[in-house]
Amino acid sequence: MRKTKSSFTWRNVTESRLFFPLLALALILFLDFILIPGFFKFQVRDGNLYGSLIDILRNGSTVALLAIGMTLVIATGGIDLSVGAVMAIAASVAALLMNPYVLGKELSPQILALIRDPNFTWQPLWVVLLVTLLVGVVCGLWNGVLVAYARIQPMVATLILMISGRGIAQLITNGVRIQIFYEPYAFIGQGWVVLPFSLYLVAFIFALTWLLTRKTAIGMFIESVGINSRSSFFSGISERNIKLLAYTFCGFCAGIAGLVASANIKTSDANNIGWSLELDAILAVVIGGTAMSGGRFSILASIVGAMVMQAVTTSMYALGVPAFALLAIKGVVVILVILLYSEQVRGFFQFIVADRKETKP
Amino acid sequence: MMQRINALISKNQRFIPLTVTAVLVFVAYGIGAILYPAMRNPQVFFNLFRNNAYILISAIGMTLVILTGGIDLSVSGVVALTTVASAALLRNGWNAWVVILLMLLIGISIGATMGSFITFLKVQPFIATLAGMWFARGMCFFISDDAIAIDNRIYHILGETKILIPGLTELAAIQGNPAPYVSISVIVSFILLGVAIYITHFRRFGRIVYAIGGNEGRNERSARLMGLSVNTTKVLVYTFNGLCSGLAGVALGVFVSSGHGLYASGFELDVIASVVIGGTMLTGGVGYVFGTLFGVMVLGVTQILIQFTGSLSSWWSRIVIGLLMLAFIGVQSLIAARKGGRHRVKEMQELAVARRRRWALAISGIAFILLTVLAINFIPPLMGAGQTATTESTHCEVKPFREVEVENLIQDGAVIAYHRTAGTRCVDELYAVYPDGRVVGNNGKQEVEGQVDPVELERILTTISDDYGWFTEKIYSTWHNPCGTCYAHYLTIYYHNQEKTVTAVDGGVDMQPEYGYTLSLIRPILPKFTQAP
Repeated sequence: MRKTKSSFTWRNVTESRLFFPLLALALILFLDFILIPGFFKFQVRDGNLYGSLIDILRNGSTVALLAIGMTLVIATGGIDLSVGAVMAIAASVAALLMNPYVLGKELSPQILALIRDPNFTWQPLWVVLLVTLLVGVVCGLWNGVLVAYARIQPMVATLILMISGRGIAQLITNGVRIQIFYEPYAFIGQGWVVLPFSLYLVAFIFALTWLLTRKTAIGMFIESVGINSRSSFFSGISERNIKLLAYTFCGFCAGIAGLVASANIKTSDANNIGWSLELDAILAVVIGGTAMSGGRFSILASIVGAMVMQAVTTSMYALGVPAFALLAIKGVVVILVILLYSEQVRGFFQFIVADRKETKP
Repeated sequence: MMQRINALISKNQRFIPLTVTAVLVFVAYGIGAILYPAMRNPQVFFNLFRNNAYILISAIGMTLVILTGGIDLSVSGVVALTTVASAALLRNGWNAWVVILLMLLIGISIGATMGSFITFLKVQPFIATLAGMWFARGMCFFISDDAIAIDNRIYHILGETKILIPGLTELAAIQGNPAPYVSISVIVSFILLGVAIYITHFRRFGRIVYAIGGNEGRNERSARLMGLSVNTTKVLVYTFNGLCSGLAGVALGVFVSSGHGLYASGFELDVIASVVIGGTMLTGGVGYVFGTLFGVMVLGVTQILIQFTGSLSSWWSRIVIGLLMLAFIGVQSLIAARKGGRHRVKEMQELAVARRRRWALAISGIAFILLTVLAINFIPPLMGAGQTATTESTHCEVKPFREVEVENLIQDGAVIAYHRTAGTRCVDELYAVYPDGRVVGNNGKQEVEGQVDPVELERILTTISDDYGWFTEKIYSTWHNPCGTCYAHYLTIYYHNQEKTVTAVDGGVDMQPEYGYTLSLIRPILPKFTQAP
């Protein structure tokens, strides 16, 4: 009896949204602990922390950023397939704003020397960031308008931008991979302040989203739209604007992720930046326990989900699995996860828990 | 008159998207034929089918899946897996027919597994087939991480048999063109189309498929309550699509004579787009298998037009396909709005407002895109100086082609000069083949030499120039920046006082098959570099 009063019972723990993702993460890290010696070692260089665990956090930050926006979209009962393409567009715009000269035909040696200068940029950094994020927002707005106002099914509406987005990104840079030499920009992806800089970005966006959804009514509106959009409409929630907000925010997050990804590799690579990351992001949200049909969501759980995906990747690299063969393992992990989340297996778990309760008087 | 047209339209509303697509195909092709005389050659028209046979095969299966309200992302992975697996098995000397059968079985089993996950475990089709795609694509690289050439008699027969079009041979002869032909995979794809039309529109199975997907995919429950065998049908649909993917993989393998895990990347998007453009609604329950044929043709015509225009880059096709999809989804939702609002005046008015809004949206969207394009194309020249492409890949640097060196090699008497760069192992190799059979390779660090039979070399050169039409318009450069792990090829052939250089990138589907055949002929005679430790 006393047990039920305490908030920290076994049941509460297993029913928490964070339980399954954290369990999966712990399981993977435990396997790493056994199989890979030195996986948990930290190194301190110039006051900055390095190590495999930090690598997981750093490489997972792009997917985590996407997952934050994707969580809101999926919570409204939608889906956004275009985030990878939006990342590519954002990266192309940013690179073009810093180094537009490579698009022309001939380049004199002076200009060649100038653009290779790490302090050279065409537009100041704040303009680059502002315009890039604005482009991300516009892409999100486009998706949102199609879904909320033109009433096109989310998957179809965002598929349009997914297909044409990479073409647009290549159009922006005229098919050229623009190299980025500007150091302050590269700091976004490669910088360290004790921890990798991109982690602070994730934390900041997470805090922003958390305040937005949990300290105002927007979070509840999103959940109610996801559970039943028509009855939300009748109870006075402007479900169209809520959906529009969710997609726009997702575009914004994809813009930031594009900045991080392009700063990390110091190129605008329209073909490869964000390739199939939309799938990773959706999967991270699913691992985080948000139902694809919409409704209740947890942003923190989605971030943990992103880290689960990255932990699998990093530990497979550490074990020496080649990059492409990794996809097969990822596929198997997805199958395991969906099995774990399917109603049958859940029912089985509940059956065990219930069974135990009955045997214990 | 107007009324009669209106009545006709509302009576045959179901066929509007299909008709629009069909008209679009022929109008676009007609415009192309007016602008580019080369497109008047009937062979170019039949190449539409020849080059896209495997897309059609896969799109037929995808149409059924989409009709049930589901989606299948795994097709690209399964196609890549079947090309690699069949190439590897054929290299080990398996019988081609056994291999083809085995590939179909692989497709069927992957499809059936995903189908059961979706049906019995209630997993979202999106997630389950995504897992399938990753699994299949990953398995490719367990088999081989490099391209494997297929050198098999039956595969060559399947790929190179020319089936003449009855009645057109004489006509082409009058015009002075060679007789137009299609390949065996075109025939296979049309047989499959016939079978699919029969089972979807004339069998009980098809009715159940429509019943499951009807009412924007919400009908599954009512279908179940009606006592229809929903579960079996759904599993069967995904299994059928798996079979189609396997068949498409075999067709692609036959077409490009090689297998690689990076083939067909982004293929699922092309397939889904062609199904949507063919008039099938992604929400399920509406559409015709026959429309898919026109959807695939739209894709093909777009690519042909972009190729013939020359100045447009390949990424334009992606943008055009996106815009076409937008237009078709707009048309479909307009029709849906017409249908729904027939009864009540007030709703009609609201719908008219919504419709106007939708049109405004579509037009402003297109205008926005056009403006951006214009801005981007005109701003950089205003900013003054510029430079040719800095082609540095994230994974691997694509070295500039050593054109001068190649030219020197040809001057020294080489008949084949082949430069390959980038790829999974970051290579930069230059090979020269001399008429006496001497092969010299150079990768910047070491030189290797090999020797082939001069008679064999002569045979290869004849095959390349006669069968593959190396010195004709048929083979042209399809250069774009390679994907992170693709190879960039630069191949010069000098034979009978003719010289031609063509560049291409593998891993894409825009490399012409003849180029692929040529590479698969040349690759085996090149000496191997010792791997750096």
